[in-house]
Amino acid sequence: MKKIFAVASLLLLAVSTATSAEAQNKLHLYNWNNYLAAETEQRFEAACKCQLVQSYYGDNEEMLAKLAAGAKGYDLIVPTGNALQSLIKQNALQPIDKSKLSNFKNLNPHYLNTDFDKGNQYSVPYAYTITLLGYNEQKMKELGVPVDSWAAIFDPAILAKIKGKVTVLDSANELMAAALKYLGYSVNDTDEKHWQEAKNVILKAKPYWAAFNGTSYIKGLTVGDIWLVHGYSSDIFQADIDAQKAGRKFRIRHALPKEGAAMSLDSLVIPKDAPRADLAHQFINLVLDGKNSAELTNMIGTGNPNSAALTYIKPEISKNPSIFPDAANAAKLEMLKDLNSKQRRALNRIWTEIRAK
Amino acid sequence: MWHGALTPVTSWLKLFMAKSAEIAAANAGRNSASGKQSLSRWLISGPPLLYLIFFFAVPTLIMAFAAFRYPGDYGGLAPLFDESGALDLTLESFTPFFSDFVYTAIFLKSFLFAVITTLVCLLMAYPLALLIARSPQKWRSLLVLLVILPFWSNFLIRIYAWIIILGPQSALTRGVNAVLDVFGFEPVALLYSAFAVIVGLVYVHLPFMVLPLYANLEKHDPALLDAAQDLGANAWQRFWRVTFPLSLPGVYAGAALVFIPALGIFAVSDLLGGTGGIMIGNVIKQQFLDSRDWPFGSVLSIMLTVAALAAAGLAALMARPRRRANG
Amino acid sequence: MAKVAAKLSNKRVKRQSTWQILAAVLVYAFLYLPLVIVVVYSFNDSRLNAEWVGFTLDWYRKLFANDEMLRAAGNSLIIALVSGAVSTVLGTMAGFALHRYKIRALQILVLTPIAIPEILVGVSLLIFFVMLNLTLGMLSVTLAHIAFSMGFVAIVVRSRLSGMDESLTEAARDCGATPWQAFRRVTLPLIMPGVVAGALMAFTLSIDDFVITFFTAGANTSTLPLQIYSMLKIAVTPEVNAVSTLLMALTLLLIVIASKLSPNAFRS
Repeated sequence: MKKIFAVASLLLLAVSTATSAEAQNKLHLYNWNNYLAAETEQRFEAACKCQLVQSYYGDNEEMLAKLAAGAKGYDLIVPTGNALQSLIKQNALQPIDKSKLSNFKNLNPHYLNTDFDKGNQYSVPYAYTITLLGYNEQKMKELGVPVDSWAAIFDPAILAKIKGKVTVLDSANELMAAALKYLGYSVNDTDEKHWQEAKNVILKAKPYWAAFNGTSYIKGLTVGDIWLVHGYSSDIFQADIDAQKAGRKFRIRHALPKEGAAMSLDSLVIPKDAPRADLAHQFINLVLDGKNSAELTNMIGTGNPNSAALTYIKPEISKNPSIFPDAANAAKLEMLKDLNSKQRRALNRIWTEIRAK
Repeated sequence: MWHGALTPVTSWLKLFMAKSAEIAAANAGRNSASGKQSLSRWLISGPPLLYLIFFFAVPTLIMAFAAFRYPGDYGGLAPLFDESGALDLTLESFTPFFSDFVYTAIFLKSFLFAVITTLVCLLMAYPLALLIARSPQKWRSLLVLLVILPFWSNFLIRIYAWIIILGPQSALTRGVNAVLDVFGFEPVALLYSAFAVIVGLVYVHLPFMVLPLYANLEKHDPALLDAAQDLGANAWQRFWRVTFPLSLPGVYAGAALVFIPALGIFAVSDLLGGTGGIMIGNVIKQQFLDSRDWPFGSVLSIMLTVAALAAAGLAALMARPRRRANG
Repeated sequence: MAKVAAKLSNKRVKRQSTWQILAAVLVYAFLYLPLVIVVVYSFNDSRLNAEWVGFTLDWYRKLFANDEMLRAAGNSLIIALVSGAVSTVLGTMAGFALHRYKIRALQILVLTPIAIPEILVGVSLLIFFVMLNLTLGMLSVTLAHIAFSMGFVAIVVRSRLSGMDESLTEAARDCGATPWQAFRRVTLPLIMPGVVAGALMAFTLSIDDFVITFFTAGANTSTLPLQIYSMLKIAVTPEVNAVSTLLMALTLLLIVIASKLSPNAFRS
C-alpha cells in the first residue's frame, strides 16, 4: 500500500513538473494528419535549429470547436477555406508579414485573393483537394456504371447496380454540396427550398449506400468491399497506391463529375497568441519553396497552389486532370463558404432527418 | 412445496437484516451522542464532494446555462450581456426539440438500443462473473485481469477489428451466409447494421457489467447454497431464488454503469452503423463539432442527462420494495 | 445455522455447472476475438489491416522510431496511473460515504458524470480551465479524468458495502479500535475486491478516453487515443496495432509487479 502511494506521488510530481517546463525552441504546428512530408520536417528543423511539434486534427470542425473553447499554444494551423473564414471573422489570427516570405511569389495567383481572405492578409495557401468520386476501375467497367457525373451516387437507376457498395462522406456540408451540384445549384446556395430538394435527392439514394464514411473508405476501396466512394482526391490517390502495393488486380481512379465539385483549399495561418510567430514565418517560407512544396504533393497526391513546385511533381500526378484540372473544369469548382448560426442550425436539422430515417 | 424448503433460508436472511437494523439503531444512538461521528462524516465525504463540486458541478452548470444563451455567429456562444448590458437569454434553443418529432424518435431509439445492450451484457456477464467469483482464490485475480486486459488496448482499434470480423469478406460473414443459403434465405450484411451496433455496444460495455457483478457475487456465502440444496432446491432454483436476488445490488450497479453511458455514446454507431440511423449521442456530437451550435447541444445534453438519471432513479426505486417483499 | 446445514449435507453443492463454465468460456472468446486480430495484424506485412499477408516486425520497428506515438503512449500511461490512483482513493471515500451517510448531494454528484454526455463534460471543463487560466496539458487531462471516473469507483464500492456484515466493524470498535483502525483492519480488507474492481475501471476509463481528453489536452500533450484518432483520416496503420499490443503487455507487467508488491490486494 505504502509503496503504491509513494509511486503515485512521484508520478503526480512528474505530471506537474512536466506541465510547468516551458517550450524553448519549439514550433507548434496544428495540422491534418499525414499532411507534411518527413523530409520537409527534417529540413526545417535543421534550418531553424529548433523542434517541430505537430498536433493533429481530422476535421476542421474539431479544430474550430477546440479553438472556440479557448485552447491555445499553437503557432501554425492549417484550416480549410470556410474554417479560415470563420477564424478571420472571430479575429483569431494575426496578419502575416509577407516581407519575411521571400518565396511568396512562387504561388499561383489563381489561388490567391480568395473571398475568404482578400489580399492574403492572414493566410498562405498550402495545398488543395477536390471532393469527387473514387471508384474501382474494373468493377465500374464491368457493370457499365458511368462515373462522369454525380448521378453515380444519386440516381437510383444507376445505384441499383452497385447497391451496398457505395459510401459517401459523413459531412453535411460536403454531401449537400454534391447534391446541390447534381441539381444544378451552387454549393453555397442557402435557399431553404433548394436544401429540401437536395435532402430528397439524398433520401432517395440513401437505401443504396453502405455507409456514411469519411475515414475508412480508403480501406474499403482497397480491399474491394466498396466500389464507389464520394471522397477526397488525396485519399483516393492513397487508395490506389495501397491497392497496387497489396497486389490487387484493379486500379482505383478518381473522376471529376461534369456538374462540378467542391474544392478545399488549405492555408497556413498564425493564431493571434502564437508563442513563436518568428519560427512560424520561417516555416511558411520553407514550405513555399518549390521543391519542399512538391514533396507533399508527391507523397499524398494533393493539388498544389505553388507554381514553382510543378517542375518537381511526378508527371503522373501533375498530368492527372482530377488533381490538376484544366481551365474548363477548374471553373466549375467552388469553395465552400461558412454559414451563419441560423443556417448551421437549419442544415443540422436537415442532416439529422437524413441520418435518422 | 419448494416454498417450504426455502423458509429457513429466508428466515436466515430476516435474522441477518434484523441484526443489522439493531446495530444501525444502536449506531444512530451513538452518532447523535458524539460529535466525533460528524467530524469523520465530513472527513470522509468532504474531499470527493469538494472535488466533484469544483471540477464537475461548476463547469457543468456553466455549460448547462449555455442552453439559455444565443449561439455565437461563428461557433461557441454569443456574449452573455448584450449591448445594453442586460442578460441576453432565450428559450429558443428548446423549441426545435419539442416541436419536432425527429429528435424524440432518435431518443427513443437510443433508449431501445441501450436497454438491449444492458440486457445482453447482463446475460453474458453473469456466467463470467459467476465463474470468477466461484473459482479458487488464487485464480480470481488472473481471471478478472483477463476480462479487463482487452480494454487496455485502444477502443478504436478494437472497433476496427470488429469491422474486419463482420465485414463482407470475413470468415464469419461468409459462414453465416453459407448457412442461410442452405435454408434458402437471402445473404445478409453483418456490418453496417443494427446488429453490428449492438455487438459493438455490448463489447465496449461488458467489463462494466462484469466487475460490479463479480464484486457482489464474490461475497455470497456458499453455505446458503448448501442449505438450499439440502432443502430440496435444484440448480435452477438455487440460482433464481438465492443467488440472483442476493446479487441484485450488483446487477443494478452494473446496469447503471452500462445503460447510462450506452445512451450517450456515438463512436460505435458512427463506425458500425452504416446509414441505418444515428443515436442521440451522434446528434449531440454534431452540435458541438459540426454545426457549432452549443446552446442546442446543451439542450440535448440536458434532456439526455435528465432521462438517464430518471431511468437510474426508477431502477433504484424498483430495487427497494423488492427487498422488503423478500424480507 | 449455516454450520448445521453444512454438517447435514453429505455432498457440497457443485460450485459451477458445466453449462455455466462453457458459457463463461464463450464470453471470454467473444472478448478476445478482436484482440487476437489486433495482435496478429501487428505482425502483418501489409499496411491495410484487412487480411494476412506475411510475418514482419516492421511495424514494431517503425513504432520505436515514431517519437510522437511513443510519447503519446507514455503520456496515456502516466495519466491513467495517476488519475486511476486518485479516483480510487476519492471514489472509495465517496462509496463509503454514500453507503454510511447517504448524503443526497453526494449521490447526485457521483452519478451525474456518468449520465452526462462526455462531450458536454469535455467542453465545460475546457471552458472552466481557460477561465482559471490553467495551462492545458497533462495536469488538466488528469484532473478531468479523475472527475469522471470517481463515480464508477464509488458505485462499485457502495454495492460491495451494501450487504457487508456491519457487525464485524462494530465488534472491532467494541474491542477498542479507533474508527480509522476499524476501517483499515476490518472494512477495507472486506471491500478490497470492490476497490480493486473500481481501480481497474478507473484505469481503463482513463487510458482509453478520447472525447474528454480531446478537449482538455493542450497543444503540447497528446495521448494515445488522440494520436490514433487523428490518424483515422488516412488509414489506421498497423503501427497502431503494435502500440496497442505493447500497451497491453506493459500494463499486464505493471499489474504483475503491483501484485507482487502488495499480494493481499485481491484477497477478501
